[in-house]
Amino acid sequence: MNSTQETHRLGIDIGGTFTDIVLIGSDGTVTTQKVPSTPDNYARGIVSGLEPLLPRQIAEVMHGTTVATNTILERKGALTGLITTEGFRDVLEIGRLRYPRLYDLTWEKPPPLVPRRLRREVPERIGANGEVVRPLDVEAARKVIRWLLAQEIQSLAICLINAYANPAHERQLSELVRELAPKLPVSLSCDVLPEIKEYERTSTTVINATLQPIVSQYLRTLSEKLVDTLDSPRLPLYIMQSNGGVMSAAAAADRPIHIIESGPAAGVIASLTLADRTGIPNVLTLDMGGTTAKASLIEDGRVMRSPEYQVGGGVTAGTRLSRGGGYPLRVPAIDIAEVGAGGGSIVRVDKGGALRVGPQSAGAAPGPACYALGGEEPTLTDANLVLGYLNPNYLAGGTLPLNADKAHQVLHDKIAAPINLNLPDAAHGIHRIAVANMARAARAVSLERGRDPREFVLFAFGGDGPLHATELAQSLGMKRILIPPSPGLFSAFGLLFADIAHHSLQTYKRSLTETNVDDLTEVLHRMEVAAQAELAGEGRRYVNPVLQRAVDLRYVGQSSELTLSLDNVDMSDAALSRRLGERFAAEHERTYGHSAPDDPIEVVNLRLTVLIPTSKSEISNSQDSVPIAQAPLQNRRCYFGAEAGWLDVPILSRNALGGKPQKGPLIVEEYDTTILVPPHYTAARDEWGNVVIETR
Amino acid sequence: MTNRFDPITLELIKNALDALVDEMALALVRTAYSSNLKNSMDLSAAVCDANGQLIAQGLTLPLHLGSVPEFTRAVIAKFGGEMREGDIYITNDPYEGGSHLPDMYLCKPIFLDEESPAGFVVCIAHHTDIGGKTPGGNGCDATELYQEGLCIPLLKLYDAGVVNQTIFDFIARNVRIPRQVLGDLRAELACLHVGEQGVRGLFGKYGVQQLSVYFTELLNYAERLARAEIAAMPDGVYAFTDYLDDDGIDPDAIPIVVTITVRGDHLTADFTGSSAQVRGGINCPLSFTQSTTYACVRCLMGADVPNNGGYFRPITVIAPEGTIVNPLPPGPVAARGLTGFRIANAVFGALAQAVPDRVPACEIGGDTGVSIGGYERIVQDGKTQLRGFVFLEFLYGSWGGRPTQDGIDGVASAVVNFSNNPVEVLEAELPLRIERYGYLADTGGAGMHRGGLSLVRDFRLLAEEATLQIRADRTKYMPYGLHGGKAGAPSRNILNPDREARELPPKPTLTIQRGDLFRHIAAGAGGWGNPFARDAEAVLADVLEEKVTPAHARDAYGVVIDAQTWGIDTAATQRLREGKGIPTK
Repeated sequence: MNSTQETHRLGIDIGGTFTDIVLIGSDGTVTTQKVPSTPDNYARGIVSGLEPLLPRQIAEVMHGTTVATNTILERKGALTGLITTEGFRDVLEIGRLRYPRLYDLTWEKPPPLVPRRLRREVPERIGANGEVVRPLDVEAARKVIRWLLAQEIQSLAICLINAYANPAHERQLSELVRELAPKLPVSLSCDVLPEIKEYERTSTTVINATLQPIVSQYLRTLSEKLVDTLDSPRLPLYIMQSNGGVMSAAAAADRPIHIIESGPAAGVIASLTLADRTGIPNVLTLDMGGTTAKASLIEDGRVMRSPEYQVGGGVTAGTRLSRGGGYPLRVPAIDIAEVGAGGGSIVRVDKGGALRVGPQSAGAAPGPACYALGGEEPTLTDANLVLGYLNPNYLAGGTLPLNADKAHQVLHDKIAAPINLNLPDAAHGIHRIAVANMARAARAVSLERGRDPREFVLFAFGGDGPLHATELAQSLGMKRILIPPSPGLFSAFGLLFADIAHHSLQTYKRSLTETNVDDLTEVLHRMEVAAQAELAGEGRRYVNPVLQRAVDLRYVGQSSELTLSLDNVDMSDAALSRRLGERFAAEHERTYGHSAPDDPIEVVNLRLTVLIPTSKSEISNSQDSVPIAQAPLQNRRCYFGAEAGWLDVPILSRNALGGKPQKGPLIVEEYDTTILVPPHYTAARDEWGNVVIETR
Repeated sequence: MTNRFDPITLELIKNALDALVDEMALALVRTAYSSNLKNSMDLSAAVCDANGQLIAQGLTLPLHLGSVPEFTRAVIAKFGGEMREGDIYITNDPYEGGSHLPDMYLCKPIFLDEESPAGFVVCIAHHTDIGGKTPGGNGCDATELYQEGLCIPLLKLYDAGVVNQTIFDFIARNVRIPRQVLGDLRAELACLHVGEQGVRGLFGKYGVQQLSVYFTELLNYAERLARAEIAAMPDGVYAFTDYLDDDGIDPDAIPIVVTITVRGDHLTADFTGSSAQVRGGINCPLSFTQSTTYACVRCLMGADVPNNGGYFRPITVIAPEGTIVNPLPPGPVAARGLTGFRIANAVFGALAQAVPDRVPACEIGGDTGVSIGGYERIVQDGKTQLRGFVFLEFLYGSWGGRPTQDGIDGVASAVVNFSNNPVEVLEAELPLRIERYGYLADTGGAGMHRGGLSLVRDFRLLAEEATLQIRADRTKYMPYGLHGGKAGAPSRNILNPDREARELPPKPTLTIQRGDLFRHIAAGAGGWGNPFARDAEAVLADVLEEKVTPAHARDAYGVVIDAQTWGIDTAATQRLREGKGIPTK
């Protein structure tokens, strides 16, 4: 330890192509590193990225990972058994029947994560009100457990009908398992997700069980490697959760279902921090890489969460109606919609003569045609090159040479010629269609939720986000765009901004009019005590906790709830339930265009989030550790559609852009991205180094 | 190739419409009260142009698709000259734009600056009760429309923004569960609200003139794609007959006959020869027969053909009046969905001859409708009341074996994309307990590609007494196999299998008592290709998954499983399979 005594915090974000490392000192100095990911053993890539930065004293490591998602996508989960109520072994495989690709007779249902053979039934039954209809047959249960153990399962899920109303039989089974196999990881549905709906609960419990051995092994290896490399015997490791908070590695190993959307969540959290700093309450985030574009919403300075999503179903089309494509996971996550639109998206002409972009992607290998790595299909990146938006010679500050001729040739031969368009118009059309696809994701998190995107500021990041941001903003009527510094590393920064978050949910079903304010307060208090105990168990100091309370309400009979915040609500108000009813009706009116004043409203859940702020150090504003493209910057001809035509566009570095709005067209070229500012827009650099683009 | 449109703007508008109709459907799902809407998603949402032509439909129910233009045509015929901003029209009349009484069709014209509407948004939802003699509104035992429930002629639910409360009141007084039905009706209004806002946004963005041009082009685009797909099919005449077991009243089998003629880029489906109109409520109105035919042909189109009325154009449906596929009023139609399924089975059977490499063997052939309705005695404020409950669900099953893949075990129909109902939600909301829901081994039609399995579901009544009404079929005429594949197992209705086990007919209506257990076993789906040519490893996998028993593996597939090692007995298998026309592996 001969280096400075200063401590650093380390953020490690592993993506499909790159591993991003961000190191921040307590004085705000930032060092970054981007190295290729090593999927066979991620730790290797991390170590190779860390070595040049050493030695440093590291206080804690924040980590975003795709290991859980990839385990599901590649079907490499642990061999898992499932115990269910007699009569219901097929719940997991039958699912909800609906399939996502209407009219496609070749569709295949995703195979169940536990094969039928390893799904066994036990005689028992709990009724809808939690009453025991049939006691658990302990002898039969022991037989089933022994049989499953003989199949050498590595993990066990237990999900019984109506266990959400009474967990007794699940707990009893768990005890029996402990007697017979003390070390076998067991996931109980009453612990993982004590909520009504047997399929969603079973699916969630099974995903947890099948990930548990894999994720704990991964985190153990990573932890050891980090301790080794950083020469620090006790190194706190935190994992980014899908809901935007971080959890300890130990907690993540126990509940891996919470880290499925670990990577994308980091980008939203980075946006949240930036939104806070810049005083922008309403933000639509766009995170676009080589394969997908992800959108999310921040409203009144808060991220939006969704209670359920599907994992492993490939890329969603941005529609919430497509069920059955993947494995449902009912844990709160940041509401992120994803579409298959990235720089690598393949372009084709369909049989009806329409132009299509994605969702297939050329990925990093073979990559776009202009990479000249063997890719023969035209991609969005090729179109952007033809349009002059991208530097014709290289990407990433010179590290990746491009072949512009190749892009021109494939786009002409495969796209422009067949649809009788000239090359620039075809390329411009591709750019716009790709943006229209992204707009579906943006609409899914905004318009589908009753939010008008025109009231939001677009934050665009990821390697390809800043290139498509203005077009997307225009298509949604958005007026203002903000591009943060180092957009390609933005998500990794998000890791360093995340607070320790503990989310709890308590089913609290009763009619709103019968809700007793004292009881409500009491239950919320108990939830807080429990959260505090759990956080203490993870070794966290319970310092400066920020509590966020909320309640889920719906009209009796409805299946979806609206969540109302209880913050800034006078909990001693005797008329609380009436006031909540009024707020609910107003929110229902706003979202769905009507309310039903005479219909009864019911409370469904209480929610509590405990945030413990991490020791964030401010990033010094003038951080410039990311190298700028080496070649001298000069003007370039760019095409902006038939009306505007080809224009001479100045190419600048971010530093060259001043605080005074400069008229487009112009391009800001950086190490890890290209920012496009078309005509009719202005761009300026704000005091934090963000590029702010506005319509003129 | 010539382009009469700018392909880029076309794609942009198409995406916007697709997103919009999904948003509409979602608004309905989120706000609905009944399980059949919020869980099963028995609904549709659509956008139509100024002429009422279907421009876009959400990822919802294909069999509603073709009935939308019939509905808007009826609306324009009745209100054409006098439509006003803020109007909303409603009907459930099967003989005037509707389909069967539980389906309430709503439509709102969108006015911009013009005198006449620039377009329409449409919503269809299946309500859980509509009065009439049988709870749930799907009984087969009515012999005329008047017995089937409240028939709402095409009316203005809103007149220039002013609600017609009389209609709401009439509905409320005529159904068993008014709060639920009115809640669902408001959910339909939410759907129209979301749709109207979206359509206004589109018109604002592109202008009425340009958007109307593109609506037309979208229809033409779909037509072009459809014609190209049909032209790629070999010309010829392909006939197929499938049967319904009975109509719930008369015991006779009911033939559905279809003759499909492919000529160039046009396809005709002629149902001449199908049964005359029947007494029971399974007659299928013409619009539904058309919808079904369109949806089947659409399944064979490989490209991403837009879900709009343009693709109907090269398809002609001939259905003689007074037949089961085009009944005369007041023929009963409540359970017409079943006949729709059988029409789909027949059309696919004919198309399998035209394009054998693309058509699967028969899926289970009709979802089973189960309605259980009655009254619970409750005491409120010291007064005894009888509170109605109606349970309604449509059970689906599995797909048939396919040219290159097995059928799927447990999936919605290719033409009706429903979800099932969560067992725990049903138990929390209704006096019922579901005691079993799962697969039955050996029920999938044997084939080189196996048909999907039967699903079994057990319902126990916890209320004092209730009416149980079932709409099932395929007890005698099983889902067919193709190219040597075997038919799937028959469907069954059993009362109290845990006691005296009384076998019920396919379409009974009966009274059941507290503690009674009703079991429905759906049919298995058909197999595709010679079962003795099925990869022995695939048979072994099915045995290990307990979807096929070792005995069935031996008898139906000629594969012998060694009971000791749970491996294939190769020698014994070879002996059994010899001379069965399979290439030895």
